[in-house]
Amino acid sequence: MASILFLVIAAIGLATALGTVLSRNLVRAGLYLVAFFFAIACLFVLLEAEFLAAIQVLVYIGAVAILLMFGIMLTRDTLGDDTTAIPVGWMIPGLFGGLCVFTVLAVGINNSIAPSGWTPWSGTTSRPSIIKQESDPEPAWVAERREAVNDMGRVIGVELMTRYVVAFELAGLLLTAALVGAIALAHRADSAPKPPRSVEQAAGSGPGADPPSEAGEPVASSLSP
Amino acid sequence: MNNDIPLNWFLYFAAASFAIGLVGVMLRRNAIAVLMAIEIILNAANVNLVAFWRYGTPAPGSGPLPGVILAILVITVAAAEVAVGIGLILLCYRRWRVADVDRYDTMSG
Amino acid sequence: MQLVELNFQTWLRWALWLVVGFAVVFPGIVAYMVWLERKVAARFQDRIGPNRVGPLGLLQPIADAIKLITKENIVPRSADRVVHLLAPILVLTSAFLVMAVVPFGVGLVPVDLPSGLVYLIAVSSMSPLGIFLAGWSSRNKYSLLGAMRAVAQLVSYEVPQILATIPVVLWAGSLSLVTIFDRQLEFGWYVFSPPGLLAFATFLIAGVAEVNRTPFDLPEAESEIIAGYHTEYTGMRFGLFFLAEYLSVFGISCVTTVLFLGGGTPIPFLEFPVDLLGGSTASLALVNLILLAVFLLKVLFFIFVMFWIRATLPRMRVDRLMNFAWKYLVPLSILNVFFAGIWYEMVIRPGGLTFANWLRGTLVTGVLVVAAVYLTFLLNRKLVESKPIDADWPSVAPATESAR
Repeated sequence: MASILFLVIAAIGLATALGTVLSRNLVRAGLYLVAFFFAIACLFVLLEAEFLAAIQVLVYIGAVAILLMFGIMLTRDTLGDDTTAIPVGWMIPGLFGGLCVFTVLAVGINNSIAPSGWTPWSGTTSRPSIIKQESDPEPAWVAERREAVNDMGRVIGVELMTRYVVAFELAGLLLTAALVGAIALAHRADSAPKPPRSVEQAAGSGPGADPPSEAGEPVASSLSP
Repeated sequence: MNNDIPLNWFLYFAAASFAIGLVGVMLRRNAIAVLMAIEIILNAANVNLVAFWRYGTPAPGSGPLPGVILAILVITVAAAEVAVGIGLILLCYRRWRVADVDRYDTMSG
Repeated sequence: MQLVELNFQTWLRWALWLVVGFAVVFPGIVAYMVWLERKVAARFQDRIGPNRVGPLGLLQPIADAIKLITKENIVPRSADRVVHLLAPILVLTSAFLVMAVVPFGVGLVPVDLPSGLVYLIAVSSMSPLGIFLAGWSSRNKYSLLGAMRAVAQLVSYEVPQILATIPVVLWAGSLSLVTIFDRQLEFGWYVFSPPGLLAFATFLIAGVAEVNRTPFDLPEAESEIIAGYHTEYTGMRFGLFFLAEYLSVFGISCVTTVLFLGGGTPIPFLEFPVDLLGGSTASLALVNLILLAVFLLKVLFFIFVMFWIRATLPRMRVDRLMNFAWKYLVPLSILNVFFAGIWYEMVIRPGGLTFANWLRGTLVTGVLVVAAVYLTFLLNRKLVESKPIDADWPSVAPATESAR
């Protein structure tokens, strides 16, 4: 039952990843990407990390996908002119390159040499059980892991504040730097946005509020169909 | 427990997604499409991490959730990267009028 | 494997929830919410509202549904047809998925997730994507503007909404809505405490903004932007947006009730006896009936409050709306987390809710909350005085500059 579910979700995931990479229309590519994120979230649920699945949907679909859509809209060449299509001459070498990478990884997965004492990965056919058995004494990590899987939010909070606090703080610092950097990049060096001169310009400039420089005209004209 | 999903199915899926994403990064010329392919690669790596976390024996002293925490940090970094990447692409678009990575070449030669 | 046991009982439960709940009950509730809104708005405006179709106009939603279904679906010629259809489906899916974790009574919850609150936030963050796709695929300048404003508003108001749920999580000790419901039986409703009250107010305001209701309905207002992102939607596709909006109102009311008002428990500070007639099935059914009735009454109250606000308040301008979110609600929510910690230390940690505890906690945190609200408003006014809020639109001269 779980295997069939995994095969369906994996097939959907691979198909949507291919759709993202091969699609000419960028908005369609973005939608395929959203479906791919959803398939990955389903895989996380299969791996018993549903908190991570919720975070995946929240961050990727709720924020990154919207940001990519805004980016597509503001760099407006979506209906398949030269930049969005893959050049025909590149397709066979690209496919060959992708197959080579996949083959190398697959051979690595299949013939992995394990450190002594551990089973190779290809031999792991089922996950370690963390269901409570009264009969034999379980290793210490099983109890910890069972508690973690049952109440993952709380355990992640504890872990992030005790064992991984440095990584957590550095991630916060990184996010702050990214926030400041993104605002600094998008900010125009000249004055604050001037009021739009006409409805056409207002509609053409969108949320970025381009000042009516020479950049205003092509952006406004690209909106008319 | 007998009809559980073998580990290497997850690993094959992650490897295939990684390869598809890599092909996307190499072949696509639109900068936003390259960002999308990078996101595919990062998600494949995340699946790999969480699969190994669930199926493997933990190292002593690493706690109950090393794989999941690392996956959360990867998601965080990916989100920050997309934000800054979109900012950079917008700047390049303002300068060159297209979002084509082949035209962003004033540092070459 | 730790997944849910997929035996016949689980399938039956899920099938019952899907068929009875999600396919019949919730759309029925939404249809009669539309009727209630029209009647309530009419009474506020000193008129009667629909009273032709059936007694008291009760068949009006059915007439509306028939009209919407039989209308022609017009799609603009240059619109992207697939995306045009997909957008309302995304928004509707997100609205339905919110209802999947709400505990309507003891054991009456479709899915009990251990990380239910994060799931709620995740699915409600899918609707901005649907709205943006709706505006984009219509190939209409006004739709695109409306969609971008809607996305900006929704994404901005998600932050105070999430921050306002943090006190609740702190006090309940878990992210699962069922646990939050249970804890309020022991510690009283979370709204009866100053940080809880502030969190409740913030969550309600942010929730009203999240469902695009007045006063935050600039993206879809007919006098502003010709209905914004659903300008180009007709017939049942518009019906899907309509259904999604009212379902979101219902969803937000349900979540507010569970988080802050203790779900269906009728009396705030007493523990509700779940095994009233001995723990038999009949007693459970009776208890659930009472809990469900009280829950629906509370939800109806919140829905009425949202209709009341719509009939009373004017619409906010988009920059003032964003201002309010980022400069007023976010600092208040962050400070509120700190006050919630103080409440936790004073009331919940020393072992439960006694009157002395509650009084002490209310005095201390009440002073802090009032001071925080006053300071936020004061500091914002001081900051605003240095730069008039209309400075970006010099054609609309503010009163202070007209003297120069």
